[in-house]
Amino acid sequence: MSAHPDPPEAEAAFKSDAEVLAASRKYTRRSFAVAALAAVAGWEFCRKVFYSSAIGDQPWPRRRILQADAKLSRAIFDERALAPTYPVSKSVMLRTNGHVGIKEELVPESWRLQLVGVASAQRYKQYVSDVTAWNYDYAGPITDAGELIREERKEARAGKLPRGLEEAGRSLSTLPQGTPGLLLTLDDILKLPKHELVTEFKCIEGWSEIVHWGGVRMADFLDAYPPQPKPDGSLPRYVYMETPNGDYYVGYDLHVCRHPQTLLVTEMAGRPLLQVHGAPLRLHAPTKYGYKQIKRIGLIAYTDIKPDDYWTKLGYDWYAGL
Amino acid sequence: MRVVAEEASKVTIRLERKHPLAIRWMHWINFPVLFIMILSGIRLYWNTTDNAHLHPHAVYRIGFGSHTLLQIFPEPVWQWLNIPWHVTQGLGDHFFFMWIFTANGIAYVLYTAISGEWRFIVPRRQSLKDAVLVILATLHVRKGLPAQNKYNGAQRIAYTTVTAMGAGSVFSGLAIMKPTQLHYLTTILGGYEWARWEHFWLTMSFCLFFLVHVLQVAFAGWNNFRSMVSGREIRPITAPSLEAERKSW
Repeated sequence: MSAHPDPPEAEAAFKSDAEVLAASRKYTRRSFAVAALAAVAGWEFCRKVFYSSAIGDQPWPRRRILQADAKLSRAIFDERALAPTYPVSKSVMLRTNGHVGIKEELVPESWRLQLVGVASAQRYKQYVSDVTAWNYDYAGPITDAGELIREERKEARAGKLPRGLEEAGRSLSTLPQGTPGLLLTLDDILKLPKHELVTEFKCIEGWSEIVHWGGVRMADFLDAYPPQPKPDGSLPRYVYMETPNGDYYVGYDLHVCRHPQTLLVTEMAGRPLLQVHGAPLRLHAPTKYGYKQIKRIGLIAYTDIKPDDYWTKLGYDWYAGL
Repeated sequence: MRVVAEEASKVTIRLERKHPLAIRWMHWINFPVLFIMILSGIRLYWNTTDNAHLHPHAVYRIGFGSHTLLQIFPEPVWQWLNIPWHVTQGLGDHFFFMWIFTANGIAYVLYTAISGEWRFIVPRRQSLKDAVLVILATLHVRKGLPAQNKYNGAQRIAYTTVTAMGAGSVFSGLAIMKPTQLHYLTTILGGYEWARWEHFWLTMSFCLFFLVHVLQVAFAGWNNFRSMVSGREIRPITAPSLEAERKSW
């Protein structure tokens, strides 16, 4: 397609102003007709993007693009980079945000980490034939200013749940009864080498805070409790985690869990983790947004089926890679 | 009759090939795409202002230190634009149309560079002085415009700046999107929060550009506006020819 379809010589031959104006009208008619067609086509395209049937509360063209963006990120970056770290003096106490799955005070002694999919699980002394049979004890609701404000807002909106605060419902990846695995105590986890990390925590809402974390590397945890390889010798691709009550649940790529800055956190700001921040054990991963950094982990399962994910169901990206 | 015919045959105007077809397409593709990018971006920004009292933030305000003159945006503006609670639409649209915005921008820079059209657009030595004269003339402070070919000095500066702003939006956007994997870029831009600040104010600058641009186009009239669609502008036969200048490259 040339910049101008007609050679300039053709126009140079005009014999009167009237001929110039007539030629202009011809070009105007033609180009505005094309413009009108393009506008209709453009609008139809946008309508498809905005209003197509949804996958996980996101119209499918946008969901597909989010997935393509993730695929591209995996291909280019592969979570190789390390996040910048900061001096402890720059860190702050992380703001509390998001209470799904941790609305009740957990009795710390009743906590166990259910671990499923470990290679030769039976050789561990923590092996049980049904991890789902474990009972967690609760001691009343956690109260927090942020949560109360949200509840008031919900009421103010006359019961219509604002987007982002809807409940995603039960996980499709939750364990069936009778699933064998390990029941680990906090002491089991604290036997792994301790690491401290000061990184910037980023929430998809837009805010960010520098936080001082303490805990064990997920990579060390994976070495101590390696996944069961598949019959062809390869490892399962995903890791699934959920809160003890199963209300909040997140899926990860296995290799993201191997990133050296992915921590199973037990301390924040040099002190034991608070329950509102996910005590006794939460995840920190500077390669992911906050909604992937699950608080109060009750279950870790190695799996080859892409795990369900709380916020993905509500329109957010499963990958969420930073 | 003979006199009238002679009058009619006297050619005083011609059709100037002003905007190449490629630039017209890229211009009009950019218009709705940038609009969607801004609207979806504002839907994302809103999420930070939700519960703002819990995390007083420096990004969305005009102020100094702990003194804030203006929260961006005031609640009625959010309501008027129907922004609240559309975060996931914002995310989906932003990460969809960013590809079109970026591809279109790269195509535009490549096209102007290769075709030579950049010579009409990139500021020249006298452009700044010309721009001042143009602004004074626009404000009716001073009469008469400096000589120009396709664009005057003010236009050259504005169109080049807005192209650079587009590049700035892409890079600051990347710095926000991948602050871990592209942390060198994020650090160059002053860190994550500064990158967000830059991305936001570039967007506000696009809005300002848009406002001035539309006003100027309205003042310039139909002949000028039409040329961005048909490519051709009716000009006095005595006006310097853009086509001749293109041939001289």
